[in-house]
Amino acid sequence: MRIKNKGYHICFAIIVVLLILAPLLLSAGVITSSSFILFLGKCIAFSIVAIGLDLIWGYTGILSLGHGLYFALGGYAMAMFLKLQTTNGRIVSFMQTGGMTELPAVWRPFLHMGPAMVLVILGPAVLSGVIGFFIFRNRIKGVYFSIISQALTWAAYSLFTGLQSYTGGNVGITEITSLLGSIKGDANRGKMFLLFYISVAILVLIYILSSFLTQTKFGKLLIAIRDGENRTYFSGYCVSRYKNFVYVLSAVFAAIAGAIFVNFNGSITPAQMTISYSITMVIWVAVGGRGTLVGAVLGAFLINLCDYNFSSGTMVEIWQYILGAIFVVTILFFKGGLVGIVRDQLPVWMKKVTRKEAE
Amino acid sequence: MFDKQKNDCYTKAHKTKESVVKSIHSRLLFFISQSAECTLWEYQTKESFAESFFSADDSFNILQGVEIMKKKTIISLFLCAALTLSMAGCGNSESGSGDSGEDTVKVGILYSATGSMAISEGAVKDAEVLAIDQINEAGGILGKQIEYIEEDGASEPSTFATKAEKLVDQDKVKTVFGCWTSASRKAVKPVFEDYGNLLWYPVQYEGMESSPNIIYTGAAPNQQIVPAIDYLIEQGYKKFFLLGSDYVFPRTANMIINAQCKAKGVEVVGEEYAQMDQTDFSSIISKIEAAQPDVIINTLNGTGNLSFFKQMNEKNYTSDDYMTMSFSIAEEEVKTIGADILKGHMVSWNYYMTTDTPENKEFVKAYQDAYGSDRVTSDPAEAAYDAVYLWKAAVEKAGSFEPEDVIAAVEAGGITFDAPEGTVEIDGENHHLIKPVRIGVIGADGQITTVKETEPVVPDPYLESYDWAVEANIQPLE
Repeated sequence: MRIKNKGYHICFAIIVVLLILAPLLLSAGVITSSSFILFLGKCIAFSIVAIGLDLIWGYTGILSLGHGLYFALGGYAMAMFLKLQTTNGRIVSFMQTGGMTELPAVWRPFLHMGPAMVLVILGPAVLSGVIGFFIFRNRIKGVYFSIISQALTWAAYSLFTGLQSYTGGNVGITEITSLLGSIKGDANRGKMFLLFYISVAILVLIYILSSFLTQTKFGKLLIAIRDGENRTYFSGYCVSRYKNFVYVLSAVFAAIAGAIFVNFNGSITPAQMTISYSITMVIWVAVGGRGTLVGAVLGAFLINLCDYNFSSGTMVEIWQYILGAIFVVTILFFKGGLVGIVRDQLPVWMKKVTRKEAE
Repeated sequence: MFDKQKNDCYTKAHKTKESVVKSIHSRLLFFISQSAECTLWEYQTKESFAESFFSADDSFNILQGVEIMKKKTIISLFLCAALTLSMAGCGNSESGSGDSGEDTVKVGILYSATGSMAISEGAVKDAEVLAIDQINEAGGILGKQIEYIEEDGASEPSTFATKAEKLVDQDKVKTVFGCWTSASRKAVKPVFEDYGNLLWYPVQYEGMESSPNIIYTGAAPNQQIVPAIDYLIEQGYKKFFLLGSDYVFPRTANMIINAQCKAKGVEVVGEEYAQMDQTDFSSIISKIEAAQPDVIINTLNGTGNLSFFKQMNEKNYTSDDYMTMSFSIAEEEVKTIGADILKGHMVSWNYYMTTDTPENKEFVKAYQDAYGSDRVTSDPAEAAYDAVYLWKAAVEKAGSFEPEDVIAAVEAGGITFDAPEGTVEIDGENHHLIKPVRIGVIGADGQITTVKETEPVVPDPYLESYDWAVEANIQPLE
């Protein structure tokens, strides 16, 4: 069993090495702009969500189209703390616009770092736990689960844009610096590198935790649930509890990712909570390859790198179509995604070629 | 058992297909879920069951270990090659754009080419490209041709921030023209401040902002909202109803209007907010009927306007029954909603397509020659067009393209341009434009005619020169 995943781990290790090298390449002048490092930082956040999604979709077979919700919740929690840091605990301009004179109770816990960091994780964990409890106990699955997850995201989106004086409405929470202070510009390069390496470390930890989980009996059970839910029931396992746990786990990963994202992005808006954003996350996993963890990471990086480079200049209008085409082709012909192409299709082609040569 | 399950899987999928609404979105959902279920099936028939905990046959896997290992090594090598290539691609594009020629200067254009804002922002972008082409034809600035790099903000503020950073830091542009929504402007503001670059923002907005790194070429509240309300009070309107979409511009605008009405002794009889994409206005219309206002102050955005005015029209209400004063309806919107519905209603801007200046005749002609005779010019497009020429003027005054020199030149004052709306000047103190205000009435032909035109108004984004605004304390805290 161990041997089987070795290729995946090597691949992940190479990604990590490339990431670690990136700031050094910047210092050496190979990469010319520090904004590219900030962008890679956001990609790290995206790949963490992707790992969570892979656990729940690739391993457990539950397609969630609403992970943007937890991503944004984590992001908002972090942004609320960071915003209060910049205003020194005074109320924020959009609250004043809404007619408030003092900090609302919801914002109070975010005055201090400890409670704020706990809430980054606890908020989405409790929410997903409660939602998961009711959904999985009632054995809602397949398309119905996907629809519910979308509806929840939509509801939260409406709530966040509606409560303008609490959340900043459509504008969201803007003009914030990172946990380490400003990371933009050449003067703050040290801080940026530190933040970047912390994020890489978190990514590595989450990958190790996830791949450990998938190799334990728990991981086997997730696959069992995916491949034959009824059989697992009849074997005496409480499927809903396992499903709920993995749902909460992926929500927490998404929240952590959201918190990292805010640090690099400098703002959070309800756009991160939309359904289309959540579906984009699913596309990363699908294109990278489901059920391999490294596929999710790879998909998140590749799609976003392409997005970053292609959605400008002459490619502006075409890029969306290309992305759509990639997704459709992947779903129709390469169900294993990129990883699947190399794992399943490539050996077959190679065999064909070598056989022809032999003839 | 498997066969039955497989059939179930497909019939379930087909049933779902029928029940799912025929929108692209739902189809996508179906697509994903179907493929998910079918892949499940493949996993089942292949090897994964053997690997799952039901199987105890570990020796089988160990025997295959060596072969699997080879396979996996190929995987990893291939995938990493892909990743490295894509990263190398970035490196190349950077170095490629890094060594620009001596005779060009790079600027960024940052609008949404995709998403819900694409149509509005596209018209503004076209005006800027037109200005750049004109300047290039006339010999460029300081002997250099302008080369523009277009980025797509995808109607999403955080994408705007990422792309702004890319333009400023990676492409090393000297300035950026961009943003339409307040959300996107607020998202990119820290980027321009941190990198010391310069953004030209061409749309009227809610004010309460003045960044050293942004030039606002659209109207501040006292160049659109405040004079419009003053005009209505002058005309004898006494009962105001405030209607807006639920986002920052209408909220702030109505806060200002409330304070102004209170100070001027006219009554606000209602204040309602519609969701951004609301299409059913029946409950709001019945509230308007109950409140019986003289005039509706309308700050709805694009799609909301369409539904609201259509539904007012269905009830046979015209501008004689309920007059409206709109702050987000320009020629472009009149075209979509329909002039027959909107005729007689009032709007407030700084520029209309009909504005009678020689510069405007040239501008309209050039715009229609470039993009088609059915295109209309509007206030935001004109403000965007001005932005490019004002940048040219500032660069020429500074004698340098560097953002800090240009900002210094702007702050020294005296940067003017004979714009289609009349001569405009950048206020060196708050980075807004000194520009005239025009109250207009929409005609049956879709054109807007000016009914009142003011002398150029000095911008006051924080409304500090208005006693009632100071009294109502609508200054932001920061």
